[in-house]
Amino acid sequence: MIEFVLLAFGLFIMLFGALGLVRFPDVYTRLHATSKCDTGGAMSILLALAVSVNAPLLIRLKFVLLAFLIALINPMLSHAIARGAYKRGIKPKVVVDMYGGGNP
Amino acid sequence: MAEENFLVTLRYAVWFLVFTAAVVSYRVVFGPTLADRVVALNTATTKVVVMVAVLSVVLDAYYLLDVAIVLLMVNAVGGLIIAKYLEVGR
Repeated sequence: MIEFVLLAFGLFIMLFGALGLVRFPDVYTRLHATSKCDTGGAMSILLALAVSVNAPLLIRLKFVLLAFLIALINPMLSHAIARGAYKRGIKPKVVVDMYGGGNP
Repeated sequence: MAEENFLVTLRYAVWFLVFTAAVVSYRVVFGPTLADRVVALNTATTKVVVMVAVLSVVLDAYYLLDVAIVLLMVNAVGGLIIAKYLEVGR
């Protein structure tokens, strides 16, 4: 039963991440929506598969390895893209910009 | 193979992930800046990785897990290179 709960949780989190990517006004807010939602949803679905599958232990460990790699790689990519976008000159549509140093 | 009810649910889960990838591809096509397109492409690639992992259970073909791991690593290297291009190239 736990696998159904994990699968539904991951699918809905991924749907909300996609909606945030479409609806948010800015590069950084879109990144904020998709990075966390995608990482959490993918890890949840992969853990559901690792719990439910009837296979040898090595294949279950491969699902867990895939979840671990997603948790390792996805935040790194989000950080790199946000840094590159800021260095390119795309300004965030906010009042306070702490990375630019223009506020007290 | 998992149990039967869960396999039927997984088939619908694959179609649901295809739908979310289609929603994301709107931002790939109509994104105002290049960074929007890069963000949307990374999101879509993560969804494809999850799709391949689910299909490896549905089709009972566990070698597809290696495909998913390799796709994830290629996504990492490609995303880092595109981010570096965002910094230095105009």
